[in-house]
Amino acid sequence: MLADITRCINCKACVVACRAEWQTPLGYSRDWVKEVELSTADGFPVVQLFPGRCQHCDDAPCVEACPSGAAWKRADGMVLVDDELCSGCELCVPACPYEARWLNPETNTISKCTFCQPRVDEGLQPACVQTCVGGALKFGDANDPASEVSRLLREKDWVQLTTQEVPGGTSHYYHTGGAPLPAEVLPRPVGQHLQAKILSDVVNPAAGIGIGGMVAAFLGAGVKKIIDRRNALAGGEEKGHE
Amino acid sequence: MSERREPRMVWVRDLWTIRLHWFNAVCWALLVASGLAVISGDSLRLAPAFWASFVQNLVGGNAVVITGHGLVGLAWVIGIALFVLVRWRGVVKPFLRGVLSLTPGRVLNDLRFTVVTLARLFGLMKQVELEPQGRYNGAQRLLGTMIILASVVIAVSGLYLFFAPKLFSFAASPLFGALFRTALVVHAAAVFLVLIGLVAHIYFAVVEERESLEGMKSGYASVEFIHHHNPLWYEQLKREGKI
Repeated sequence: MLADITRCINCKACVVACRAEWQTPLGYSRDWVKEVELSTADGFPVVQLFPGRCQHCDDAPCVEACPSGAAWKRADGMVLVDDELCSGCELCVPACPYEARWLNPETNTISKCTFCQPRVDEGLQPACVQTCVGGALKFGDANDPASEVSRLLREKDWVQLTTQEVPGGTSHYYHTGGAPLPAEVLPRPVGQHLQAKILSDVVNPAAGIGIGGMVAAFLGAGVKKIIDRRNALAGGEEKGHE
Repeated sequence: MSERREPRMVWVRDLWTIRLHWFNAVCWALLVASGLAVISGDSLRLAPAFWASFVQNLVGGNAVVITGHGLVGLAWVIGIALFVLVRWRGVVKPFLRGVLSLTPGRVLNDLRFTVVTLARLFGLMKQVELEPQGRYNGAQRLLGTMIILASVVIAVSGLYLFFAPKLFSFAASPLFGALFRTALVVHAAAVFLVLIGLVAHIYFAVVEERESLEGMKSGYASVEFIHHHNPLWYEQLKREGKI
């Protein structure tokens, strides 16, 4: 997905199209347009518009944080949610550095942008791309050198919403016309619920040491028992010879 | 020619108790194997990633693993609950009275017995005197107490993990989700605690005291074995006229 912010006019047709496509509950949306107010060197106010959504990270932290495998990444790079597996536990929510995941009050599962995967699988464009009035949003196969997305990637400068703390690549690119990315749109550090932290940092390491230690100790005890038995048998045989 | 003397045996366990033990063992094997395969997220799983993919591919996806894990867990809870209800007076109450270590003094005594027993496996602390033991020795009491308490925690947290997403709207109150996440941690921690203890349980049954394993199959124990390992129980059986 490409977003040329120099072409975004803040009409929010993308948001409306997404909400209509996915029937999201009132007050919820899978995409958004962030308005960042800046001022030029000579004091003129400027508004930058950033159409945002799940960035479909290469190493998606939400996939790592999901206990049931409901959050998963398809081979083509789309990060998806399997509603049948999703319990709505929200362990993935703080893991998303783009705050793109939320608990849907109607389905009780996690919702997020899926790049309109069912539409894409039918050969259609995502709803937001199809509706984008200014032509700011483009979607396609970046691995196909003949695609429009590949041509645009070659012709313009594109940046990803990454930082030193969240350095992984994404499947979403932005063209800012050379302007630096404002702090407001940069990702927050990957977070964890307290329970996930306890499980990953305390329970699992302790269990690994505990179970591994017990297995090693009792294997040692078993080996010692065999050696003792052999020694005892050898001792008995020697006595027999005497 | 010397005649081989058959060991004197005493009946110590009824058929339903034996069946319950093996039902519990089979359930645990299935539940641990499937439970370790349910947790897929890299930052949360304990088992290597290949295990989750292997089991999930084997049965047709994680939804099947989760449902299977939940149903076996439910059968485990119902099976044990029924046994507790039906055999409370005859088996369960005396078992709990004998096995539970709940006071600090008793826990310390049992801990001492356990440490010395484990050290002796490696030829250490052989000179340390140990108190004569009843039907359950100190190590068995500690392990039994831990397993009983952990099992209650596992059952309660497991029921919540299985049913809560079906029964409650997590979006309606953040409490439901927070409870779910907490239940997940508590469930895993309690299972791992039992697994640590089970390593010792299986080693002693299979390697050190095979008579115990035989007893868990036939219901009979050798009087000599009881006299040697559980002298207080031996005295009790004598008083009761069973040997």
